[in-house]
Amino acid sequence: MQKVVSISLNGNSYQLEEPGYEQLRAYLERAESRLKDSPDRAEVMADLEQAVSEKCRTTLGPHKTVVSTLEVERIISEMGPVESADEKSAHAGTEGDSSGATQSAGPPRKRLFRIYEGAMWSGVCNGIAAYLNVDVTWVRIVFVLLTVFSSGVWFLAYVVLIFVMPVANTAEDRAAAFGMPFNTEELISRAKKNFEEFNQQFKWRREWRRQQRHWHRQFRQMNEQLRVATAQAAPAMNQTARAVGGLFVVVAALFSAVIAVALVLALISLFTQHSIFGWMLPFDIPLWVVALVLVALYLAISTPLRMIRHGGHQQGGYHPGWGALHGLMWIGFTVLMFWGAYTFFPGVREVVDQLMWAANLTVTTISETIV
Amino acid sequence: MDNITEKLAPIRKGLLEFVILKIVSADKVYVADMLKLLGPTEFATQEGTLYPLLSKLRREELVDYEWQESDAGPPRKYYKLTPKGRTQLSTLNDYWKDLNRTLAEFGN
Repeated sequence: MQKVVSISLNGNSYQLEEPGYEQLRAYLERAESRLKDSPDRAEVMADLEQAVSEKCRTTLGPHKTVVSTLEVERIISEMGPVESADEKSAHAGTEGDSSGATQSAGPPRKRLFRIYEGAMWSGVCNGIAAYLNVDVTWVRIVFVLLTVFSSGVWFLAYVVLIFVMPVANTAEDRAAAFGMPFNTEELISRAKKNFEEFNQQFKWRREWRRQQRHWHRQFRQMNEQLRVATAQAAPAMNQTARAVGGLFVVVAALFSAVIAVALVLALISLFTQHSIFGWMLPFDIPLWVVALVLVALYLAISTPLRMIRHGGHQQGGYHPGWGALHGLMWIGFTVLMFWGAYTFFPGVREVVDQLMWAANLTVTTISETIV
Repeated sequence: MDNITEKLAPIRKGLLEFVILKIVSADKVYVADMLKLLGPTEFATQEGTLYPLLSKLRREELVDYEWQESDAGPPRKYYKLTPKGRTQLSTLNDYWKDLNRTLAEFGN
C-alpha cells in the first residue's frame, strides 16, 4: 500500500505516489534554483510543469488514476536536467549534463537543517551541531556566549536562522543534514520561501502550538523526574525526617525570600545606577539583557525549590498547614529584608521614597478632582 | 567513440540554438515535435534544456509563440521565427558555410 499525494500542475490535478511526489518536488525545486538568475524563470517553470503534466496524463487510463513512483522517475529522466540558457551559466551547463541527471542518485548532499529530535527550542543549534558533527551542548554554549558578547544582537541572528533553516521532515532530510555544503543562493531563496509560507499559510500558528506542546512535554518530563526522585526519597522519611521537614520549611521560606528580594533589589539597582550592587556591567551589555538574565537566574533557582516543596506535599511527609506557615514566613522574611534594605542602602531608600512620593501625588490628585 | 562525443559536447551545445532556429523557420512547431525531430540526431535533447533555451530566444525576439488548441489537453505553445530571427538565421548560415570552407582549406 502506498500513500498518495494530490498535486496540481498548471491547473490539472494528479495523484502521485508519495516517494514519486518527493522526487518531482525536488526536481522542480532544483530547476527553480538553477533558473534563479534567469528573467524567464516563471515562464520556464510553467512550461516544465505543463510538460510534466502532459507526460503524467499519458500514464493514466480509465482504470489507472495514480502516477507511480517509477513513472515519475521515468518522466524526470525524460525531462532531463534543467539548465539556464543564459551566457553566465553556460559553463555550468557541461557540469549539469554530466551530474544533473544523476544528482538524485548521487552521494547525499550535506545540508543545514533544523532538527526537532532532541531540540531545546527550535532545533537550530541541533541542526548546526549535526552539520558540524559536534556535540549540541557546545553549539548552545557558543550561541549563549555570542548573545552576551554581541549585546543581544546574536539573538536576532538566531531568529533569522529559524526562518532560514528548513526543518528536516523526512528521513532523507535528516540523512542530508549530516552529508555536503549547501550554497548561499539556495539559502537565501529558502529563507524567502520559508518566510512567505510562514506568513501566508498561517503556519506560524501551527508552529507555535507545536512549540508549546514541545515545551509542555519537556516541562512534564522534568516534573515527573523530580516527583520520582522525591518519591524514592520518601520511604526513608521517618519521624526525625519529618522534624527536619519542619526545619526545611523555615530554611526554604528564608531562602526563597532572600532570592526574591535579591532579584527586586538587583533590578532596582540595575535600572537606577546601571550596576548590580556596585558591580559595573562589562562590555556595555544592554540593560534589558541583564534584566532577563536576572529573572532567568531567579527562576532557575526558585523553580526547583518550589517543585521539591510540591513534591513533598504529594508524598504526605509534609503537613498541609506547613504550606500556610511557609507562605506567612515568606511574607515576614520579605518585609523584614525590605525594611533592612530601606534602612541600610541609600540607593534603595531613594527609589522607594520617590515611588511613595509619586503614589502620594497620584492619590492626592485623584482625591482633589473628586472633591 | 564516447570520448569523442564527450569532447564535442560543447560544440553541439553551441550549435543547438542554430538548429532550433532552423527547425522553427520551417514551420510552426510544438516542443514535443521538436524533441521528436531532434531525438534520432546528434542534437538529441530534453525539455530541461529546450524550454530555457526557447524562452531565451523569445526574450531576444528571435522566436515567438502562439497558443493553439489541441485535441488532447490544454492549449499548446507553437513557436515560429520572427523577422529578426530570420536575419539572425541567415547570418548564422553564412557563418557556418565560412567555417566549413575554412575547415576544407586546411585539408584532410
